[in-house]
Amino acid sequence: MSEVRRFVVTPTDDPAAVLVRLADELSLRAASSTVVERTFLDTADGRLDAAGVVLELRHPVDGSGSASLVWTEDGRTVATHQLALPEAPRFVADLPAWPAADRLAGLMEMRALVPGPTITTRLTVLAALDREEKTTARVVVDTSVLRNGDDLPMLVELHELRGYGREADRLEKRLRAALVLEPFTGSVAAAARAASGAPAFLPSKLRLALHPTAPAAEAWRTVLRALTDTMTANFAGTIADTDSEFLHDFRVAVRRTRSVLQEGRKVLPPERRDEFRAGFKWLGDITTPQRDADVHLLDYPGLLASVPAERAAALEPLRELLVERQRECHGQLVADLRSMRRAQLGRDWAEFLAGDGAWPADDGGEPGSDAPDSLRPAVVVAAERIHKAHTRLVRDGRTIDDGSEPVALHDLRKDAKRLRYLLECFGSLFPASDVATAVKPLKALQDTLGTFQDTEVQAHALEDMAVQLVERGAPAATLLALGAVIEGVHARGAAARVEFAQRFAAFDSHTVTKAYERLSEDAEELS
Amino acid sequence: MKVLATYNIKGGVGKTATAVNLAYEAASRGNRVLVWDLDPQGAATFYFRIRPKVKGGGKAIVSGRRDLDEVIKASDYDNLDVVPADFSMRNLDLMIEGSKKPLATLRRVLRSVAKEYDLVFLDCPPSISLASESVFRAADALLVPVIPTTLSIRTFEQLDRFVEENPEVVKDLDVIGFFSMVDRRKRLHRELLVELRAARPDLLDELIPAVTDVERMGVHRQPVTAFSPGSRAARSYAALWDEISARL
Repeated sequence: MSEVRRFVVTPTDDPAAVLVRLADELSLRAASSTVVERTFLDTADGRLDAAGVVLELRHPVDGSGSASLVWTEDGRTVATHQLALPEAPRFVADLPAWPAADRLAGLMEMRALVPGPTITTRLTVLAALDREEKTTARVVVDTSVLRNGDDLPMLVELHELRGYGREADRLEKRLRAALVLEPFTGSVAAAARAASGAPAFLPSKLRLALHPTAPAAEAWRTVLRALTDTMTANFAGTIADTDSEFLHDFRVAVRRTRSVLQEGRKVLPPERRDEFRAGFKWLGDITTPQRDADVHLLDYPGLLASVPAERAAALEPLRELLVERQRECHGQLVADLRSMRRAQLGRDWAEFLAGDGAWPADDGGEPGSDAPDSLRPAVVVAAERIHKAHTRLVRDGRTIDDGSEPVALHDLRKDAKRLRYLLECFGSLFPASDVATAVKPLKALQDTLGTFQDTEVQAHALEDMAVQLVERGAPAATLLALGAVIEGVHARGAAARVEFAQRFAAFDSHTVTKAYERLSEDAEELS
Repeated sequence: MKVLATYNIKGGVGKTATAVNLAYEAASRGNRVLVWDLDPQGAATFYFRIRPKVKGGGKAIVSGRRDLDEVIKASDYDNLDVVPADFSMRNLDLMIEGSKKPLATLRRVLRSVAKEYDLVFLDCPPSISLASESVFRAADALLVPVIPTTLSIRTFEQLDRFVEENPEVVKDLDVIGFFSMVDRRKRLHRELLVELRAARPDLLDELIPAVTDVERMGVHRQPVTAFSPGSRAARSYAALWDEISARL
């Protein structure tokens, strides 16, 4: 493939004008000059940016021609698509039928594209031609301004065409003689984001740098603040239902907060801790119905694929029911999130997290006087909690055999989550490689436990929906197809149940036990 | 990667115009496309304004001394690259004959670029020879332009017979015929169109008209859609590509 050499040009003069003036000398011919408005699209967590993909909606400013969707990487155009209506795609299903669209779909998954900064760009294209008037290289001068009128760095791109590398080398030499050029490795989208003060992409992972010897209360405060930031960052998207991941990430932050509060016995004042545990349990509970409805919709394409193609169409009433239910749940969630109770919880919580060091005692006494672990080194307290959670997970897991009730596996999943959240929230207190060694086998166990529980929940929910569909007078074909779907879900659950023994045995191994013991040894060394 | 060969035993039926225009159409829709000009006359190469010369000649590629990706030239259009013609390709039969597995030669050569392109168009010279058989083995489909004249139809039937009688050569090859250079003012064309459609329902619906825009490609040295995007010929090639891509 042809490559693009990109440079920032020091604006001693208008580079496009300089190049047009030097066109003859450089054997360049002005090919086009257009002014376009460009809106960059990405998911809220910047998945395209992380993969080096730039997706933009372009409109010719003079109204000539239609809007287009342009996909570039490192300045190279991967694909373009003329749009009948100047509307940006939102979800994977809205993407053009590009041959490589699967790659974009793989990056986006269930996330929506949201518009980022908009800039206005003059794109001046000059072509280097050979004696046959064949283009051997292109020079593109990109002069962009933000909506507020601020200039972005001026860019000169040298598009080397495959098989014409020597011509591009010669041209680069001459361009360097005519203009002051510095290599540019970023993207215009990233430059526009930075210059426009656009909010940062939502982080997909909790990134913390806790100090091992700092008091435990300080580490707990830091973690709880970071989780609060995640909830805040995902709040508007949850209310707007931009995509299902806002609520998912909001819920994960709530669950982690509950877990950190649970593990904060002897670190936080007991009464306040109980108060907030109850508050966040409520907050988690009100998000559950919509999350369940979201999951059903996200799983719907997979459910469709699980029945023979000729029966898939019969499931349409189920999809309608799922959509309807998701809307109802969302309406209720918005009302709950906008309630006085939620607002009061937010205010109390912000007040509780303000300040530094250990919290004052519940009776107003000395900070830390009713929380004996609050001033101990964070790494030691976290290691003790991790040890306890690991021991409990192993103990409970060993009691499960082929005859155990499903509830035993559900409870074990909670044990596993507790351990996972501890590792995720307090992992930065320990050497990263030791944490990674401990997390990997746990993740594998969690995947199996998750599949088992999800299929149980899904099968029950689908059975409930079958009843509703009967009440609505759905045709027999729908119920038959739904029966086949439920059968498939049970089969997946049964497979996970069989897999459990093997996964747990791998987790309950000498190597994994050593990995967890290593964390306790780390705590001793670091404190 | 799908390999499509524009092929007809007869010359002057619009093979090169088909390869160039369909390649342009496919590339403009986001496919990564390579055109390999196998015809020593180099008409496709000429249309793309590329010098008809391959470093080391065709033999270097066929023998494997030089990888195909070393001789690829970008066209003036996004996603569209070209392996230029080389006059030495007039001896392609001899080059292939000298290789270990003659029929598999072109397939082997193309394997090195399989990850880089979604589509390869082989623009073939008019003949039926060892080189053609190697094309048949390398291609997923033959795109066969047919002029509605008695002689052109006769050669299409010859190709049919070859495909029928040589299953070991053609294997799963899809032969896709379509009418080319159709002049509806000519009574014979109109009559043969009706007659052939009845006899060969597998022929594509879209037909390429005999219009001056296609002839003017030689003047503009561009695909017809590039210099005359709204023209009848451009619309026909777009519709033809719709049909072919749906069949692929």
